[in-house]
Amino acid sequence: MGGRPRPRFRSVWVFHVDASACNGCDIEVLDVLTPFYDVERFGVKLVPTPRQADALLVSGSVNRQAVIGLKRVYEAMPPKPRIVAAVGACAIAGGIFYDSLAVYGGVDKIIPVHIYIPGCPPRPEAILFGLGQLLGLVNKKIEAKILYPRRHVLDRRYGVLFNERLYKDLRYYLTRYVGYYDRDYILDDLLEIINSSRTVEELREKIMDKASRLKDPRLREVYSIAGGYIVEKIKGETGTVQGKHRVQV
Amino acid sequence: MAKYFEKTDKWVVTFRYPLEPLEPPRELRGKPEINPDLCIGCGACAEACPPNAITKEIDYREGYARIRIFYGRCIYCGRCWEVCPEGAIVLTNIFEMATPSKDDLIYEVNLELHTCSRCGRYTEFTERQIHRAYTLLTRIPRERRKELLDRMFLCRDCRRQVFSHDALRSRRTDKYGRASQTPF
Ligand code: SF4
Ligand code: SF4
Ligand code: SF4
Repeated sequence: MGGRPRPRFRSVWVFHVDASACNGCDIEVLDVLTPFYDVERFGVKLVPTPRQADALLVSGSVNRQAVIGLKRVYEAMPPKPRIVAAVGACAIAGGIFYDSLAVYGGVDKIIPVHIYIPGCPPRPEAILFGLGQLLGLVNKKIEAKILYPRRHVLDRRYGVLFNERLYKDLRYYLTRYVGYYDRDYILDDLLEIINSSRTVEELREKIMDKASRLKDPRLREVYSIAGGYIVEKIKGETGTVQGKHRVQV
Repeated sequence: MAKYFEKTDKWVVTFRYPLEPLEPPRELRGKPEINPDLCIGCGACAEACPPNAITKEIDYREGYARIRIFYGRCIYCGRCWEVCPEGAIVLTNIFEMATPSKDDLIYEVNLELHTCSRCGRYTEFTERQIHRAYTLLTRIPRERRKELLDRMFLCRDCRRQVFSHDALRSRRTDKYGRASQTPF
């Protein structure tokens, strides 16, 4: 056993209620029962009737039809321990359907809930984590954070060639090509090159050099496009300083 | 029999997750977090969030703009990440968020509101937003710059008053003889 915490419950039999879920959460609950995730090693078993169930797994944002069934299921359960787990964003607070007329938005508005498992849908691991908490195998890891940061914003450093406005332009330009995930990595890399170069020619050479050393042809393309854009932008910016462009306020 | 189990042990696919820690993939879209040093409190993320998991609230009494994420409703779409102009909000790969209490699912950043330099009341934008606007003002000629900077630090009411005052005094007129509208 080692240092493992002592389980609170021995084997919990669960009944799964689909209270108007989109089926995303239900599929993940099924995943948890497969041999890979295998929740049955903790004694958790899916039962076909609420009369045998110790716990309810409720997914979905509880619409007007589902609330009747949900209440009947809850009443049909044996009075102890009557555990309820809310699975997914919908079951916690309505999720993406939160402002619909047809939904109550949250299981806890109908019946008391003992554990909330966020996610849309939650990963099978997240459901395992929630059930593990219910059984007393793991402890919760999240807590509320309320921050009061200092007054002024952290400024980035842009070297001699760049400024905040050019950085923002480059950021949106890159988003169009690579999306937001890769954008941040590429942008950090480019900013390092920009900060270390003193003239536009040097910058162009450095970026093209970097692009030619990359293995991925897609990345190479993005770097060369971004390099062309940066050089053009920096030249345009020096033009505005000398008053060649029309002023835009 | 014991030998049989020894052999089959190699083929066990079940992982021991809740009993052993698990390293999620880097790309996993998990819990969104705001970097409190970068956020300027613009509220773009609150606008973009499809289920309104992020809300922006202006507290004039305390003088704070409050950006609050409620993880219970978040659908991990990454729209906030996409729109944030400062790169402050990022989806981490943390997924272990199950909790017995809804109050744990809150992440809040409180940013100081700017006070009007004329009347001293709280404005509806933060100190950091003003700072950022100032650093973005690069394409404006010097004479226009002074005019803008005079009004940048005012609240909405004071701007209106100062602007109408200036417009009335202004000698510049359009072709119908009216005072010309200077864009603010
Ligand atoms: S939380 Fe997401 S996946 Fe689950 S039922 Fe609601 S919309 Fe579907
Ligand atoms: S990931 Fe999507 S749902 Fe979650 S806070 Fe960001 S915009 Fe809102
Ligand atoms: S969009 Fe970014 S900078 Fe604006 S309030 Fe949200 S996290 Fe802060």
